[in-house]
Amino acid sequence: MTQANRDSGCDSDRQRRLVAGVLDKSSLFVSCCVVAWLFTGLSPSRAGDLIVTIADRAGKPVPEVVITAAAQAPRPGAKGMTPEPAVMDQRNLAFVPQLLVVGVGAEVQFPNNDMVSHQVYSFSPAKRFQLPLYKGAQHRPVDFDKAGLVVLGCNIHDQMVGYIYVTDAGYYGKSDAQGTLHLNNLPAGDYTLTWWSPYIADPADKMSTTVHVAEHEPGSFHVQLSRELRARPEPGARQTDWSY
Amino acid sequence: MSRSGACALVSSLLWLACASAQDRLEVTGEADLRWVAASGAPSYLNGGEGLLRFDPEHEDLRLGYLLLDSRLRISDTLSAHVVADAFGDHDRNVVDLSEAYLQWRPFPIDAIRWSAKAGAFFMPVSLENRGPGWTDVYTITPSALNTWIGEEFRTIGTEFEARWLGASQGYLGDVALIGAIYGWNDPAGELLADRGFGLTDRPSTLFGGIGEPPQEAYHEVDRKPGYYGGLTWRHHDWLELRALRYDNRADPYAETRTAYAWHTRFSTIGARLEPTEHWTFIAQCLDGATTTAADIVTESLFVMDYRTAFALASFKQHRERFTVRYDNFQTHQASGYYGLPPNEIGHAWTLGWMHDFGHGWSTAAEWIRATSSFPPRVEYAETDGLIESQLQLAVRYRLHASL
Repeated sequence: MTQANRDSGCDSDRQRRLVAGVLDKSSLFVSCCVVAWLFTGLSPSRAGDLIVTIADRAGKPVPEVVITAAAQAPRPGAKGMTPEPAVMDQRNLAFVPQLLVVGVGAEVQFPNNDMVSHQVYSFSPAKRFQLPLYKGAQHRPVDFDKAGLVVLGCNIHDQMVGYIYVTDAGYYGKSDAQGTLHLNNLPAGDYTLTWWSPYIADPADKMSTTVHVAEHEPGSFHVQLSRELRARPEPGARQTDWSY
Repeated sequence: MSRSGACALVSSLLWLACASAQDRLEVTGEADLRWVAASGAPSYLNGGEGLLRFDPEHEDLRLGYLLLDSRLRISDTLSAHVVADAFGDHDRNVVDLSEAYLQWRPFPIDAIRWSAKAGAFFMPVSLENRGPGWTDVYTITPSALNTWIGEEFRTIGTEFEARWLGASQGYLGDVALIGAIYGWNDPAGELLADRGFGLTDRPSTLFGGIGEPPQEAYHEVDRKPGYYGGLTWRHHDWLELRALRYDNRADPYAETRTAYAWHTRFSTIGARLEPTEHWTFIAQCLDGATTTAADIVTESLFVMDYRTAFALASFKQHRERFTVRYDNFQTHQASGYYGLPPNEIGHAWTLGWMHDFGHGWSTAAEWIRATSSFPPRVEYAETDGLIESQLQLAVRYRLHASL
């Protein structure tokens, strides 16, 4: 082997070592990127926020509307919001709140803080149950294990009506006084956005749409109702017929 | 009804009070004391011809009422309800019952909820008397229409209700069909022919009757049951409509040693509108006739038509409530003979104020001015036309307990 060849051979070895070193560093970099991607959830499933606003036909914000966002192609392992225990109170012969949204599997307590007893029931397909006559928090929480609308009543006070909206969508909440709901940390992708309130009179097929949550940037969607809202009683206790 | 019956029911009330089931017995007691100033004729409750509860001979400090409204939950769907009252008028019994019944109200399993009552209770007519013991929640004295319902009518029998619960079907409201079969209402109509319409806050009691001397209101004379059928529609929380057809189907020729049968029938319709939490508007009318064979000589039938209506507006803000009401009422002898023709034409204005102090204490003030013309008064009160007024100031205390 000539010196040149040796030199050449040495150069080749150096180059191989250099290339190997560069490759090692690249692998490390890629690995780091992969790890970073896994831990930070960057693209293609980077989390985004979605701001939903809802207004009536006149453009006035509509509070107390249930809004849900369900991923159309959910990623395996994507959990969404964790169902949390909730409370449906009874005060001044009314359910408080009148409308509650929970995830499937949530447990709901029904404390009675009125002076008189209540008998809470539902015969909705999503949950049939009866809470025999009670005051305070005598009964165990009720497990809502099926998605759907649960209409609540009191067998003693017919004017008491409440709603529990049980959803299997990953993201949900109710609009605030400004008619706005912030849904945070949604993986990017397409979502079915649905809204519901007992006072919305729009046809059922106009109560949902598809929205896209993009990477990096927060998205927003505005719901404009097409029909007049059903009359909503002004808040405040009305005079009701005397009944225990 | 007999005194022994009253004793039995009072005993049952005491039994209810002794029931030991936790939280299954709920009792509301209320005491109402009044200061009264009145002008006009002596009240029919004091043996006179006046249509108000108090008169110049019965003023100053008076008992409005003492009431005990209790409900025992026998099971989750069956309850017993008893209302005991004391009014301090010329009553035969110091304490008497105005209602005593069992109610069955099963949990609904679909959009139709069935329920039933059996015993003695008020028919579901009034849109004003929403308080415990059938008290008026807008002012002290109910309208002429509901005064009469409280005086001469009690369902002593069975009432069924089928209520469509609209909320489960996406409709914010419900509709109820009501039907009842009852007895012991055969004298209903006699007080109206004798006195015309009245304006008082005291219903008759089941055993002690009403008036001076007390006339027992509830007799079974002809052994024929009566009926009523009604419809209630509640739309959201702000509109309620009630319509009812009543017919006691009494045989006008029937009589016993102590009572005559009056065939009394009427239709009534009313609406309550609560557009905001502050405002309430009520309008209700009643139109009907009563027939009896009071003329023992010819046995010809005496027929009297009657109609009454009222409109009420009430404003509630925090602890205050202000109410104004206009009543119109008339009776007319259509045929037959019953002494001087009981042809009444009258109207009344009522102004009311209520204040809730909290902790069970409240006060109410009310002024009524009633103008009426009623020929039978000529004979007894030497006047046909009559202007009566009454100012009342009530102090009330309400106590609620669960045993």
